[in-house]
Amino acid sequence: MHDKLVDLTAVLPLIQNNQTIALGGLTIYRRPVAFVRALLQRQPRPQNLTLLTFTAGLASDMLVGGGCVSHTRTCYFGLESFGLAPMFTKMVEDGRLTIIEESEASIACGLRAAVGQLGFMPSRAWQGTDLFKVRPDVKTITDPYTGETLTAFPAIQVDVAIIHVLKADRFGNAILGGNPTIDEMLSNVAKTVILTAEEVVDKLEGPVELTGLAVTAVCHIPHGAWPTSCYPAYPLDGEEILRYIDACHDGEFEAYIQQEFNAEAQRRRENERKKSA
Amino acid sequence: MYTIDELICVCISRQIEDGELVAQGMSTPLVAAGYLLAKLTHAPNLTFISAIGQTFCQEFAPLGLTTVENLWLSNGLFTINFITGVCDFLPRYQPKEFFRPGQVDPVGNFNNVFMGGTFDKPRLRLPGSAGIADVTVFEENVCLYVPRHGRHTFVPQLDFRSGVGHVPERTRGCGPRYLVSDLGQFDFGGENGRLRLTTHHPNITPQRIQAKTGFPLEIAPNLRETEPPSPEELHLLREKIDPLGIRTLETLSGAHRKAKLREILQQEAAA
Repeated sequence: MHDKLVDLTAVLPLIQNNQTIALGGLTIYRRPVAFVRALLQRQPRPQNLTLLTFTAGLASDMLVGGGCVSHTRTCYFGLESFGLAPMFTKMVEDGRLTIIEESEASIACGLRAAVGQLGFMPSRAWQGTDLFKVRPDVKTITDPYTGETLTAFPAIQVDVAIIHVLKADRFGNAILGGNPTIDEMLSNVAKTVILTAEEVVDKLEGPVELTGLAVTAVCHIPHGAWPTSCYPAYPLDGEEILRYIDACHDGEFEAYIQQEFNAEAQRRRENERKKSA
Repeated sequence: MYTIDELICVCISRQIEDGELVAQGMSTPLVAAGYLLAKLTHAPNLTFISAIGQTFCQEFAPLGLTTVENLWLSNGLFTINFITGVCDFLPRYQPKEFFRPGQVDPVGNFNNVFMGGTFDKPRLRLPGSAGIADVTVFEENVCLYVPRHGRHTFVPQLDFRSGVGHVPERTRGCGPRYLVSDLGQFDFGGENGRLRLTTHHPNITPQRIQAKTGFPLEIAPNLRETEPPSPEELHLLREKIDPLGIRTLETLSGAHRKAKLREILQQEAAA
């Protein structure tokens, strides 16, 4: 395997309009927030993305608020105890976002089908619910052995997955840190896989949680999940999440993103100065 | 004296049997506190499986807000990813789980997707069905809890069915077995699986519960008053399980809730 360590600016062009983009982590835990903030600074911002996440939280709300997302695919979109996701909620209620309604099983089965190079995966999920009414593309199938009616969840293809990890090596092998969620699966399904890592070492000794086989690029971004957590390096920053929610409710989403990006650039410059001193 | 969040935790705890496997969803501190209370009282052999962390856990740790992962990750016995958890583990082991419905109908169908308007342009978009549309199809151990009982939650007709209740077309599992709200406890033992009041909380009349329910409520023949929390249960909840009062976030709303959030964050930062 070759050296995949690159600067964050080098991977931003990999995100292109109309792609399906997946974010690793869970709701407000180990999300690639620094990557999303950097992507929102790119000119022009990506457009018409389909956002696929197991659960969507802070990083997803920022991508939606930035006008990059036309479709969402997730089983939960919110900020857990901190409340509803403000930009997502507003966009949906304004009729400006298309939701491809999902559940845990439709995502898990869809990705299992994709990684196995199959068209669908059967499940009992959704039988008797209204999910089929809003997902007419999801069909049922008869179990050829028992005759039972099952749901045939279609394979989910992913163009780019962005996963924040606790520790990676230059080849893209990585340790997640906690909350494995669906990140290993995403790394196997996505055509392009970008890791942002708290710490990058030359070579990790096994066992690792992600192999570098399918990883395209590794970026070293300390504190890259903040204000979501990166267990065990740091807990989530609840005050900052509340500050984000308040900014959104005050109509100050763009100012918040710009301010946070500037503050982060400042921190990076200071760290570099400290390192060279 | 006790508060309503404490009574709900105690009711949840009393639904837990020793040796059971229970599942813990996201942002459900009343349930987490109830499970932990059971663990520290009558169900020491309880095993948790948690959405946050995706771990099995048999140990005790107090509730946290910014440190919520510590409970599950520092004490995890075993970790599975969500793909394995959803496709293999949940169908195989069918843990008991408490869900908080956005809307619930008379036979225990429920909705966590949207309320009012249409799916494409809802009046209120909810976070989504998570695993509810999956496990309610086949599970035997689904329970519900409603921290603020009202007609907006107990509706004659759902805007969207994302959780399956007691319906004739069901081929596996059963609908919810139990519901606790801030007004009383219920089962679904009424005609054709209808919601039925089994106990009313102290100082709450059945008439008041009916007035706050958007459909005619059945009443169990042996209707009683809910047994209040014991001094030991209150002590464990307040001193050991949840000294910061994270459980109250589910019973508060608006400015009160936000103030409580900031208070908890400050207390956690100072600890």
